Amino acid sequence: MDLDKAHTLLTSKTPQFNTSSNFNQAYRQKLIENLSLDSQGRPFKIMVFRGSPKSSRKSIRFVDELRQEVAAIFEKDCKQTPYRCIPKGEKRVLDAPRLRNDYYSNIMSWGMNNILAVALGPELYLWNSEDQAVHKLLQVRGGNDWPTSVTWSEDARTLAIGYMCSNLQLWDVESSKLIRSLQGHSGRIASTAWNGHILTSGSRDKSIINHDVRAANSLASCIKRHADEVCGLKWSTEGNRLASGGNENLLYIWEASKMSSSKFLHRLSDHCAAVKALAWCPYQNNVLASGGGLSDGCIKIWNTEKGICINNIETKAQICGLEWNRHHKEILSGHGYSIRENQNKLCLWRYPSMTKVGELGNHKSRIINLCQSPDGITVISAGADETLRFWDVFGPPTAGAGNSMVSDLQGLLSFRTSLLR
Amino acid sequence: MASRTVAKDIITLRGSAAIVSEFFGYAANSILYNRGVYPEESFAKVKKYGLPMLLTQDEGVKSFITNLTAQLSEWLEAGKLQRVVMVIMSKATKAVLERWNFSIETDSDVVEKGVSREKSDREIMREIQAIMRQIASSITYLPCLDEPCVFDVLAYTDTDVPVPFTWIESDPKLIANPQMVKLHSFDTKIHKVDTLVSYKNDEWDEQ
Repeated sequence: MDLDKAHTLLTSKTPQFNTSSNFNQAYRQKLIENLSLDSQGRPFKIMVFRGSPKSSRKSIRFVDELRQEVAAIFEKDCKQTPYRCIPKGEKRVLDAPRLRNDYYSNIMSWGMNNILAVALGPELYLWNSEDQAVHKLLQVRGGNDWPTSVTWSEDARTLAIGYMCSNLQLWDVESSKLIRSLQGHSGRIASTAWNGHILTSGSRDKSIINHDVRAANSLASCIKRHADEVCGLKWSTEGNRLASGGNENLLYIWEASKMSSSKFLHRLSDHCAAVKALAWCPYQNNVLASGGGLSDGCIKIWNTEKGICINNIETKAQICGLEWNRHHKEILSGHGYSIRENQNKLCLWRYPSMTKVGELGNHKSRIINLCQSPDGITVISAGADETLRFWDVFGPPTAGAGNSMVSDLQGLLSFRTSLLR
Repeated sequence: MASRTVAKDIITLRGSAAIVSEFFGYAANSILYNRGVYPEESFAKVKKYGLPMLLTQDEGVKSFITNLTAQLSEWLEAGKLQRVVMVIMSKATKAVLERWNFSIETDSDVVEKGVSREKSDREIMREIQAIMRQIASSITYLPCLDEPCVFDVLAYTDTDVPVPFTWIESDPKLIANPQMVKLHSFDTKIHKVDTLVSYKNDEWDEQ
């Protein structure tokens, strides 16, 4: 063994394989031959297919599309105004013992006189929001009758009370006297609504009765269209349309002038559960919001002129009340049972985008009713946990009309550009 | 391995041609999807060869491949097809980036005498499945195709084959100094298909 030669070969850094490039060349030559001659050494013909035009669509890569989307969202976010602060807690909690846990009743009403009328079991109380004085108006004796529907008249002079036993009473609150008893129904009165001197009542006997409270024979018209209890009843702000929601999941729109003939304007069957929550939009004529019960859980916004649903949100929870915010373009929904989300909560939605703005939820069990203060700032929720909770959720009121225009301008001025990494 | 009699199926020339041209259709779709020649959303999944195969939903590409495989099937039946090459080129520069080469060896006895062969269908499927898996996994070593690409299909036939109306004579569109990877092959006992992919050296690679 020649150790020196071995050592040189092993340690020398210069490549010794000068035959390698030749070898490579020969290999490549063979390869090229292979590629241009077939196995028998025959040359062949090469053709390219030009049969039909291939798609000339640009192949956009998914990554670029994603980048574009993200950039668009970012821009949109920049333009939005910082949202007003929504209070997390209630302003006040009132104890409401024996408040009936009944989805179908509407036992709360806040009159223009700043007095809240609320039925707790067989008793009806008046709470003055100015001095917080409490006064019991009436108590039903016997144990098998109680108020199921309470509504102040528009001028807050009269309080309409509907009962379990189908009685409908008008009370003068100042003198604490019963003025009138109206007959007509054969089942409990679940909902009532005032339209000037017309008092409309909806009952478990499936009928809607319009009473003219000035006339001796008060019964102006009786409509039998619903197939089940009429649990939701609301007159529009102008008083030309009435929305009635039933336990058979139907929502009817009626015209004031045509009510005597029982001809409805629209019959809307989109809901899959009882329609109790109804609220007319204060800033758009003929726009109605309706909320469905447990199996439905949808807030639907309707154009009652055409009878079409213009928006739909799935809240996945039983909706017991809807209140529009007069000061900002929002709507508040009160919820009861849910298998998934929003149980026992109040949800605030931006209108018309219907994006959820906030959530208030301190009720220990389901919310039964919602009502709004006359100044449009406070909302009360009556819960099955026997509490009345006051939320200052609709304020602060913005000064001047056209507040939506102001907020847009603010948004533009606060637009900040920043680099998207 | 314990010997067992595997049920064999009879393969005719026409049947074999159909298997090969169908294989080519699915392979072409798979290459277009995996190499990103067309956006992923334009493909739909179907079950074939026991695998989820992706087929383009783009009408233009669909009809292109259908017409193409019809012609290939014809040539295969005549035993005149030697090679099918799918070329992927840069849309902007038309430089050839990848070449998917499918070489075909035809049993001339079958073509001349019209005999048929025997082989288990399932085995052929398994062989094709192996190739499909390899095509899908090729993205692990093939260089990224960062720019929009277009594709072309070349057919190598015997010199006596007349050029059909929808084809034109072409150069082989070779890649200079390519890297090559040989994939599995499958055999119907009438046609044997070898797969090879050659690609342009990535700049990142060191010589």
